[in-house]
Amino acid sequence: MKDRNYAHSIQIDPDRCIGCSHCMRVCSTGAIRIVDGYACIQPERCVDCGECFRVCPQRAVYAKDDGLASLPPENYKIALVPSVFIGQFPSEYSATQVLNAVKQVGFDEVFEVEQAVDFMKEAYRSVAKGDPPHPLISSYCPAVVRLIQVRYPSLTEQIMLLKAPHDIAALYLRRSKVKKGIGPEKLSIYYVTPCAAKIVAARAPVGEVKSPIDGTVNMTEIYNKASKILHSFKKPGLHKTFANMSPDSVNWSLSGTEKKYFPGRSLAIDGMDNVIEFLEKLESGHISDIDFLEMRACDQGCAGGILCPGNRFLAVERLEQRQKRLQKLKDADNGKVRNPLMDYKETLHAVSGVDPVYPRGGLLLDEDMEKTLIKLQRIERLMTYFPGFDCGACGAPGCRNLAEDIVKGKASISHCVFVQRVMEKNYKLSPDQAFVVIEKIWGKNRLNKYRDSHGNQSE
Amino acid sequence: MKIEYYIEGGNFSTAGSASSEVKKTLKQFNISPLLLRKVAVALYEAEMNVVAHAYRGIMSVDIQPFCIWVVVEDEGPGIEDIGKAMEEGFSTATEEVRQMGFGAGMGLPNIKKNSDEMTLTSTPGVGTRLELSYFVKLNN
Repeated sequence: MKDRNYAHSIQIDPDRCIGCSHCMRVCSTGAIRIVDGYACIQPERCVDCGECFRVCPQRAVYAKDDGLASLPPENYKIALVPSVFIGQFPSEYSATQVLNAVKQVGFDEVFEVEQAVDFMKEAYRSVAKGDPPHPLISSYCPAVVRLIQVRYPSLTEQIMLLKAPHDIAALYLRRSKVKKGIGPEKLSIYYVTPCAAKIVAARAPVGEVKSPIDGTVNMTEIYNKASKILHSFKKPGLHKTFANMSPDSVNWSLSGTEKKYFPGRSLAIDGMDNVIEFLEKLESGHISDIDFLEMRACDQGCAGGILCPGNRFLAVERLEQRQKRLQKLKDADNGKVRNPLMDYKETLHAVSGVDPVYPRGGLLLDEDMEKTLIKLQRIERLMTYFPGFDCGACGAPGCRNLAEDIVKGKASISHCVFVQRVMEKNYKLSPDQAFVVIEKIWGKNRLNKYRDSHGNQSE
Repeated sequence: MKIEYYIEGGNFSTAGSASSEVKKTLKQFNISPLLLRKVAVALYEAEMNVVAHAYRGIMSVDIQPFCIWVVVEDEGPGIEDIGKAMEEGFSTATEEVRQMGFGAGMGLPNIKKNSDEMTLTSTPGVGTRLELSYFVKLNN
């Protein structure tokens, strides 16, 4: 079975894209090509990790969210705010102040996602008891889940079948609001997202029919609005009077906290390259004595999310300080944590699972075995013509990618600038034809800036 | 389609590269995740056996529309008693190899478990030949 859910958040703005190919070179699934002068994303391969967003010099890559404007004004609006958002602000602002500012941006209530972590900790213990596959891979980071679907089809069965904390938080809010007479149709739960992958997870979840979250808002948008409120409103801080979640929960989205809560031996791996290096080893069966893998596509976990406006290391340090403050509150309260979400833990347990995750088949050359064989043989032959240093002038990230595109009928051998020279020399291709080929990849008028010795623009 | 890889005996740091290449190629075929996993695990174990015990070896993989044939042939000390080598936990690995985390004596039984058919022949003092077959339909 194949997962054909190819919804994405990462988009390219054609008004800004200049086809510079920076994004194409960093994509870890080889999902980007340059066509007609613009970067073009192949939906079956993109995992919304956002590495292209980081490197785009034109800011042409963006994460499409639902946005604040899509909030139905008549509904009871709840913002689900992850702890990393609080870490974007200097410590002079208390968490309560920051969350209040978010509320003033246009919500009726604000809920910190990490309150659901107390539930996750218990759920992990019960998953570990159920004899799961070894090692089990955390389902927390949606970019990692999608990366496995695309590049590591044989590992999909090792993904933990558990919803993420923001889903659990949303489910809790839905249930507790019904009790207060706010039905599901009158409720709008929006997640303030640190990354593109979580937008997709809310819009088109893997292993769920529909996400309990109604929409997403880019963290940068909320940050700008909340900052304005915090700056103009210098009211001395409101503070929490008790711990409403266990102190280390605030670090759950970073690297290294989640892994502590799975019994046995576990690793925490962050950063796309590190995750890929490890999954390669895992897929060949090199790793046998590890029970749990916590993986985050971003360096420093969600603090390194592409939509986090602040510095990831500062955010991590602030969350550590916050953990200490919560610990003090907890100690002063005889070690008590008053988390209202945990009153619902039995109901939540019943709905916390997700369906099995299936591979996506983004690497397939053909559905048919025989045709794949023929295509592979053609690729090997093509590779003997290409220079092999992955210059990218053909509009594909590497020679191998160009060869694959050719056998899929998406490109031609003349796209390779080296093959072009040989074809021109052998009179198989006229200079004019070669010019057209380059324009097809890099865009019309791309070559206009080059003038001949008389100062005339080339045609 | 036939692909061949050279395996260097005793080089533990690069061990696994041949099986990793095969895995990369197989991912482009519409085969089940189960089959991919079986081939990947068996080939890694087979490659490790050559690295740990033999002087050099060749892994050749023949991919056909309905089946995958693998032959791993090495030059090395060979296996004295194949029946015994197939027992779980039996190993002739040296202490040095064991300290690197290999040689637990699960290799051959694990290969058998992760293949549809397995044939193992050996001439002591000359080398070992391991043949594995996988049937695409059987693993769907």
